[in-house]
Amino acid sequence: MSSATKLRPGSKKNFWPYLLITPALAVILLILGFPVFRLITLSFQQFGLTEIVSGIPTWVGFENFQALLKDPEFWTVLRRTFIFTFAMVAASIVIGAWLAHLMLRMNTVIRWLLNTTLILVWAIPALVGISIWKWMFSFEFSIITSTINRLGFDFAQRNWFTNTFSGFSIIGGVVVWGAIPFITISIYAALTQVPKELLEAAAIDGANSRQIFRSVILPILLPIYVILISLSIIWDFQVFTQIWVLLDNRPASEYYTMAIYAFEKSFGLSEYGMGAAIALLMIFSLLGVTWFYIKKMVQIGDNNA
Amino acid sequence: MHKRSSIYANLSGLFAMIFMGFPVYWMVTTSFKNRQDVLSTEPTILPRSFTFENYQNAFSREGFYTSLRNSLIVVLVTVAISLFLATFASVAIARTKFTGKRSFISALLIVQMLPLSALIIPLFLLLTRLQLTNTIGGLALTYVAFILPFTIWTLRGFLANIPTDIEEAALVDGCTRVQAYRHVLLPLMAPGLVATAIFAFIQAWNEFLLAYIIMQSQENLTLPVWLAGFTTRTGTDWGPLMAASTVTAIPVVIFFSLIQKRIATGVTAGAVKG
Repeated sequence: MSSATKLRPGSKKNFWPYLLITPALAVILLILGFPVFRLITLSFQQFGLTEIVSGIPTWVGFENFQALLKDPEFWTVLRRTFIFTFAMVAASIVIGAWLAHLMLRMNTVIRWLLNTTLILVWAIPALVGISIWKWMFSFEFSIITSTINRLGFDFAQRNWFTNTFSGFSIIGGVVVWGAIPFITISIYAALTQVPKELLEAAAIDGANSRQIFRSVILPILLPIYVILISLSIIWDFQVFTQIWVLLDNRPASEYYTMAIYAFEKSFGLSEYGMGAAIALLMIFSLLGVTWFYIKKMVQIGDNNA
Repeated sequence: MHKRSSIYANLSGLFAMIFMGFPVYWMVTTSFKNRQDVLSTEPTILPRSFTFENYQNAFSREGFYTSLRNSLIVVLVTVAISLFLATFASVAIARTKFTGKRSFISALLIVQMLPLSALIIPLFLLLTRLQLTNTIGGLALTYVAFILPFTIWTLRGFLANIPTDIEEAALVDGCTRVQAYRHVLLPLMAPGLVATAIFAFIQAWNEFLLAYIIMQSQENLTLPVWLAGFTTRTGTDWGPLMAASTVTAIPVVIFFSLIQKRIATGVTAGAVKG
C-alpha cells in the first residue's frame, strides 16, 4: 500500500466510524434489540391481559418452559415443524439444482423462456402468490380439481384442507414454487462462473466427466449450496403467512407449526409469556441449525476493508 | 459450461416453464374473465370471455385507494430513511476499522435471521407502550429497522467493489474526509444505491405480518393486508381478488426485472470469493 494508506480512517481512536453507524444502530437496537431482550424476560414471566393493563409482570422462573416441555402438543408441533421444513427445503433445493444443471443443456430460446418465467414468479409478492394458489385449490371452482376430474377421477367438489397431508402439500407447494426461482437462478449463475480454463485443463489431463465434476465443479458449487440450504432453512422454518392466509386466518390445531403456535398462544390466548417461551425455543433451534452459515458470513464481512 | 442442447433438457425446461408459469397465467386470465366464467364449475384453460369489470370492481371496493395510499407512504418513507442511514453505516463497515466492528457485523447478520413471528410478540407490546400501534409512523419505523441490516449489508457489498484509490487521491489532493465521501464515493455508489432502494421498496411493499398486527383499523391497512381481507366468512370474490392481485404485483415485477441480475450475482458473489 502507498503512503495514502496513512490518510485512511484506520486509526482505532477515530470517532468517525461510530458517528456513521450510530443512527442505524439506534433504530436497530430500539426496534430489534430491545424486543429480543424483552422476549427473553417475557419468557420468564406470566404476562397476560391483566399484566398489560397494570404493567406489572409476575415472574415465574422456568415455569413456562417446564409447562411447554411437559405438553405433548409442543412436541407434536416441534416435530411437525421440522418435518415440514425438511420437506420444503429438500424439494426446493433438489428441483432448483436439477433445473439449473439442465439449463446448461437447453437451447437458447427455451433457456430464455424458462429464465423469464422464473424471474416473473420470483417477482410475485408472497401474498399474491398465496391468493392465486388459494384460488387454484378453491372449494367450488378449482381448476386443479376439475382438471383431475377430467382425467377420469371423481373428486367432485373437494376441500383440500380437510386432510392435513394434502393441506400441507399445498402450503408447501406455494412456498417451494416461490423459492425455486431464486435457487435455480443462483445455482445457474454459479455454474456459468466456473472458469473454462479449469475445465479444459482437467480434460487435457485426462479426467473423465465424473472426475471433473467431483474435483472442479463441486468445490466451486459447495459454498453456494451451503448458503442456499441455510437460507432456505431460515425462511422455511418460520413460514407463517402461507399457513395463516390459506386457512382463512384461523388454522386448526393440526396445522400449527412453531410460528403459528407461538402466535396463537400470544395473540389468540393472550398468554404472551408462554408465546415468548415458544418463540425463544424456536430461535435457538434455528441458530443451532444455521451456526456454520453465520460464522462464514461474519468472516466474509470482517475480512473486507 | 454450456453443452450441446439435449431433447431431455429442452422438454424438461418447457414442462418447468408451464408448471411454474401456470399460476401467474391463471391469475391474469381470471382477472379478465366475466363473473359467469370465473364462477364456473367446469373451468377451461383458455378464457371464454374478456372484460374489465373485475378491475372496476376491485378499484371501487372499500379501502382500495386508502390502502394503496398507505402502502405508498409507508414504503417511500421506509426506503428514504433506511437508505439514508444505511449509506453512512455501510461506509463505516467497508471503509474503516474500528473496535466492535466484528460485533456490529455479527449483530446485523443474526438479526436478519430472527424469525419475525417470534419477534412480533415483544415488538407489539413495545409499540403498544409507545402508542405507535395503528400509526403509519410506527409501521414505517418498524420496517426501517427490519430492512436496515439487509440494506447495510448489500451496500457494503457494492462498496467493497469500488477501489479505495480514488478517494485516497482526493484526500491527498486536500479534500476533507466528508468531501471525499460526498463528491467522490457517493456518485460511485449511485448504481448500488438504486438497486438497494428498489430491493427495499419490494420488501416493504410485500410485507404482510407486521402490517397485519400493527395496523388494526380499516383506514390504516396496507395493500397486502387489504388483499388478505377478500376472504370473509361469506366467501371470496375471486375475480376482483385476481384483478387486485395483478395490480399489486405489477410494480414489483417492473422493479424486479430492473435489478434481478444484480441480486442473483450479489448473493453468490460473496460465496465464490469467500
